[in-house]
Amino acid sequence: MLLALFDTGFWTNGPVRVALAVGGSAALVCAVVGMATVMRRQSFAGHALADVSSAGGSAAYLLGVNPLLGFLGMAAAAAGVMEWADIREARERDLLTGVVLGAGLGLAALLLYFDATVRSVSGAAVTVLFGSMFTIPATIVPLALAVAALALAASAVIYRPLIVSSLSVDLARTQGIRVRAVALTHALALALAVSLSAMTVGAILSTALLIGPAAAALRVAKRPATALALAALIGLAASWGGIVLAYESFYWTPGHGWPVSFFIVALIFGAYLLAGWAAGRARRPTAHPSGCEGH
Amino acid sequence: MRAVISSFCRLLCVALIGVMGALASGCSGPKPAGPPLAIGVESQYADVLSQIGGPYIRVRAILTNPNTDPHSFEATPAVAREVTSASVVVMNGLGYDAWIDRLLAAVPDPRRRVIDVRRLLGLRSDTVNPHLWYDPRTMPAVARAAAEAFAALEPAHAAYFTANARRFDASLGPWRAAIAAFRKDYGGTPVAVTEPVADALLEAAGCRILTPLALELAVMNGTDPSPQDVAAQQALLRRRAVRVLIYNQQVTSPLTASFLQLARAHHIPVVGVYETMPQPGYHYQSWMLAEIHALREAVAHGVSSRSLGGAAGSR
Repeated sequence: MLLALFDTGFWTNGPVRVALAVGGSAALVCAVVGMATVMRRQSFAGHALADVSSAGGSAAYLLGVNPLLGFLGMAAAAAGVMEWADIREARERDLLTGVVLGAGLGLAALLLYFDATVRSVSGAAVTVLFGSMFTIPATIVPLALAVAALALAASAVIYRPLIVSSLSVDLARTQGIRVRAVALTHALALALAVSLSAMTVGAILSTALLIGPAAAALRVAKRPATALALAALIGLAASWGGIVLAYESFYWTPGHGWPVSFFIVALIFGAYLLAGWAAGRARRPTAHPSGCEGH
Repeated sequence: MRAVISSFCRLLCVALIGVMGALASGCSGPKPAGPPLAIGVESQYADVLSQIGGPYIRVRAILTNPNTDPHSFEATPAVAREVTSASVVVMNGLGYDAWIDRLLAAVPDPRRRVIDVRRLLGLRSDTVNPHLWYDPRTMPAVARAAAEAFAALEPAHAAYFTANARRFDASLGPWRAAIAAFRKDYGGTPVAVTEPVADALLEAAGCRILTPLALELAVMNGTDPSPQDVAAQQALLRRRAVRVLIYNQQVTSPLTASFLQLARAHHIPVVGVYETMPQPGYHYQSWMLAEIHALREAVAHGVSSRSLGGAAGSR
């Protein structure tokens, strides 16, 4: 197992290096942005953004531009619209999000059809929806790193105000926090994170990388800083571990590697289960029934 | 995944179309007079059929657009009606046009003759490369089978059909000679490809295809390639271990585009080959001759040709 790590071919392999760079930066950004997203209970919105971004990814193939730009453009537009609508009531917000999600995927279906019939791009649907990390052109790496740096910088700037306004909007206002500007900046960071994640594991699976590590970390860590560090660790381990396993799978079934997206998402799910088990063990001595979270 | 989804969609479409076709044929009465209809599902088969049938057979092709991927074709009700009313249907087989099987099964007709080229050539059903028409042995066999089928339909012209089949076989002489000449001059030439489209021709010409087969199939099927195979292909181009890169002119992806870029950067000529016969201006014979000429130009003089016939290809 994990023989790939000792295999010089792994470290000198061009597609693997690109995947490590893009997947690593996606995992870091998703851990940071995903933490705030989980705390603000915006997981569904994050998933909707990812689905809508698939239309951008499909359009990129049609226009022959960088797919990351496609994902990014559509995710940013959708994030702007959803933040602009600014609906407070959860039921209303879920409805709007669901409708926007459906429309985005529908548009992606049309654009993927055009990709296949007009531009004769092969495999665009699988790449856009489920990711194909080893086919990412090396030219995308600088842009991916820049997007990651921008998202991390934006998250750092709004770190404290965002936590305060996530807890209570009124409290944030009394402290002089511009709640609207903070929310908009977070929405932008979310769009950046989602588009990086869509490049890594595809638009449909992108929520897994956004929510999974943060959710797993929040199950075991009490302090926000610890949770953040743990989420980043889980995200990186899943992303790079998935790449190692996909590389390794080439030797399990000669000549046919398994999709890297499967391994990454499976590792994240495993981490989530493991975190639940660890949290359960930690809680057991204190005679509380499970599900009681207590601050 | 794509294959599963699209075959499911096709199944749905075909089921619907079958019902519509059955309804349509039920109320349209007797077939219209005139020469019997023969369908070549892929335009290259249709081209051979019309060379054999002459004025006595009406020939139609279904897959004719060289700019789209035949693997992602969806049948329309009009196509279904046409196919089910034909007296002779020539299909490639090997899953390349599996929707035809389902269309025909929905509207059975005991008088219809179906020529499945895979079966005609006696190939196993798990043959991985479905692009049979690039094999020099394929079309002469198709021509003979078509002549037999047409003779059964129109016995009065049997001799005409048989003579045409013989003439067709002879007209492939220049192509076969060009292949033999390439084999003699450049046999063993190492080449890279993006897809298995022209593999049969390359093998007949004695080329050594160094691209991992799993990568060719991943590109053809639109599945995730393994990093080992992608890196192996990149190394072939970077180290100039191949004399030419042959790519499918009709189907591209960011991955194949990156291979083309790499080939250009390392001064390796590229040759774009066609999955479906380019029209107009080409017959099967001239198309195949143009492909082997393009290969020879690339290997002998380092000339790239992205498309057949035209200055657009020069580098």
